Amino acid sequence: MGLTDLVALLSSDAAIQIIASIVKILIIVVLCLQIPPVMVWAERRAPAMMQRRKGPNRVGIGKFRLYGLLQSAADAVKLIFKEEVVPTGANKVVYHIAPIFSVFTAFLVACAIPYGNDITVFGQQISLSPIRLDVGFLFILAMSSLAVYGVTLAGWASNNKYSLLGSLRASAQMISYEIPLGMSLIPLVIIFGTLDLNKMVIAQSAFPWSWGVVRAPISFFLFFICMFAETNRSPFDLAEGESELVAGFHTEYNSAKFAAFFLSEYVAMFVLSALAATVFFGGWQVPFVPYDLLLKIAFGLDWLAALVGFLFLLLKAGFFMWVYVWVRWTLPRFRYDQLMALGWKFMLPIGLFNLLITALVVAIFDTVTRH
Amino acid sequence: MVSINHYLVLATFMFLCGTLGVLFRRNLLLVLMSIELMLNSVNLVFVSGSRLLGNLDGQVMVFFIITVAACEAGVGLAMVIALFRRYGTVDTNFLRILRG
Amino acid sequence: MSQELLFYSFAGLIALCSVMVVTSRNPVISAIFLVGDLFLLAGLYASMEAHFIAAIQILVYAGAIVVLFMFVIMLLNLDPDQRSQVQIAAPEVGVLALTVIAFAVVGGMLVFGQPTGVSGEMTAEAINSAGGNTFTVGMVLYTKYLWPFELASMLIMLAIIASIVIAKKDRPKSATEGDKRRLAHG
Repeated sequence: MGLTDLVALLSSDAAIQIIASIVKILIIVVLCLQIPPVMVWAERRAPAMMQRRKGPNRVGIGKFRLYGLLQSAADAVKLIFKEEVVPTGANKVVYHIAPIFSVFTAFLVACAIPYGNDITVFGQQISLSPIRLDVGFLFILAMSSLAVYGVTLAGWASNNKYSLLGSLRASAQMISYEIPLGMSLIPLVIIFGTLDLNKMVIAQSAFPWSWGVVRAPISFFLFFICMFAETNRSPFDLAEGESELVAGFHTEYNSAKFAAFFLSEYVAMFVLSALAATVFFGGWQVPFVPYDLLLKIAFGLDWLAALVGFLFLLLKAGFFMWVYVWVRWTLPRFRYDQLMALGWKFMLPIGLFNLLITALVVAIFDTVTRH
Repeated sequence: MVSINHYLVLATFMFLCGTLGVLFRRNLLLVLMSIELMLNSVNLVFVSGSRLLGNLDGQVMVFFIITVAACEAGVGLAMVIALFRRYGTVDTNFLRILRG
Repeated sequence: MSQELLFYSFAGLIALCSVMVVTSRNPVISAIFLVGDLFLLAGLYASMEAHFIAAIQILVYAGAIVVLFMFVIMLLNLDPDQRSQVQIAAPEVGVLALTVIAFAVVGGMLVFGQPTGVSGEMTAEAINSAGGNTFTVGMVLYTKYLWPFELASMLIMLAIIASIVIAKKDRPKSATEGDKRRLAHG
């Protein structure tokens, strides 16, 4: 095959889409791999700040200490090169599959977030999320509902009663809070009339008074609580309550497999933060700057506009990541029965009520505008 | 082109697997799982039929079947738990009181 | 061509998973393979342009029902000797019936040949121009099947109440001595 053939093959429409998909996936994976180190650093410095101590500030290259940012890099190296110990009596196959399942689902969900408006490359329209479906919204819910398997299987395969208890708690919690999570998001689907997340972002426009959080504040309230429960984060971190269950479902995991659970937890946090930003805070829209205007400011280059939008999405998601850390070091842990009561007796009725009211209002509004 | 016969053969195979599971497994949980397998093979037939016939009734049927399957699993598993609590086993060989 | 490749790889994996669900000795492994089965089926649905059903399949089946199964398996935490072995006392009638079913399906195909081509009006193009798969399924569901839909919601309500009542812990009395003796003698 000659060089010209190769060029012709690579510039065909299908090839451009495939190459674009690979590039997008690589970017998302690299991005997601950067989240845990930064977040671990933030989660050490933030409480240090709150508790008036210094936190990690020693690790650095020579004299450059970078506020201890390299501590996370050192931790990562340590985790990867640690000796692997598989507990006796563990179900070997399931023990090894569980962390893979966890990471797989977390990354799959991260691939469905719209990171920017569609751009045109070589005459091909390319969407900035690797998985672009007209049911993208359902896809995210479906895939995040699979995350529970990683936790459940890990706890069961470890052959440790603390792991099993932790995983039973975690799976019950995740199933229970999935329902209010879905309930809180359905009103947004009714309001914007689409399951495509990118269209949802476009429908919100750049002005904060038409964002999801203004149009459906109760939904945001519910979603905000579910965000913490779905990722098993404090104040709902009973699944790994250190004082009761050693470390919960990953008690028996160490080295790289522990790192995998760590990674998937932080990626799940990022995904929910990005979803909150996308659905309630206008996603990649730059506040007060409509996309057309942004395109003009960016010299008409759509990739530059998309990059700016991407940075704004990261900014919005980053805020929620900070809230995660903030809440963790502020609120005490719930009791298990309180957690379940909150989910089933408080959040679910409010979610149903909110859904009913939203549907009624939208129906009345539609009838009024039609006549 | 993948024709409907391909899907039918696959669905038949799944259905047979499910039926064999119901007949041969003694664990009540496995029996319930085999029933799920059979329901899924029916779903596959419905969806492929919906595509062949060019109307969406088949997909709506799948929606209802999934609803019924969820109810069936919920009630079935509740019964399994109740049985386990009462008799300490979920083995179908031991649950033969009605047989006398 | 690519669609055939997709179908055969998915179909092979589905067949493998189905066999493993039924034959593996450990219920947890069975459940894992059941999840694989459901996941691959969702892939097949998506390849047939039934995106909504594919998403619902994963959301409800894999995300809720099988998790429930796994939950119960772990809750019961059966002793190794109680994990099921294959029952040898074979119901031959069942096997015979299954053989008949299999031959009937294959024979029916041989007799009636391969139906191909779309006869109805909801082709993939029509669905796309009407607003997508989810929209059109919704239109059918909330117009033609409105009453079945309402009945389904009643069914779910009943199932919730029934499962709570059945699985409630504080039952008046546990197994009596007579029950246990009868069990011991099979």
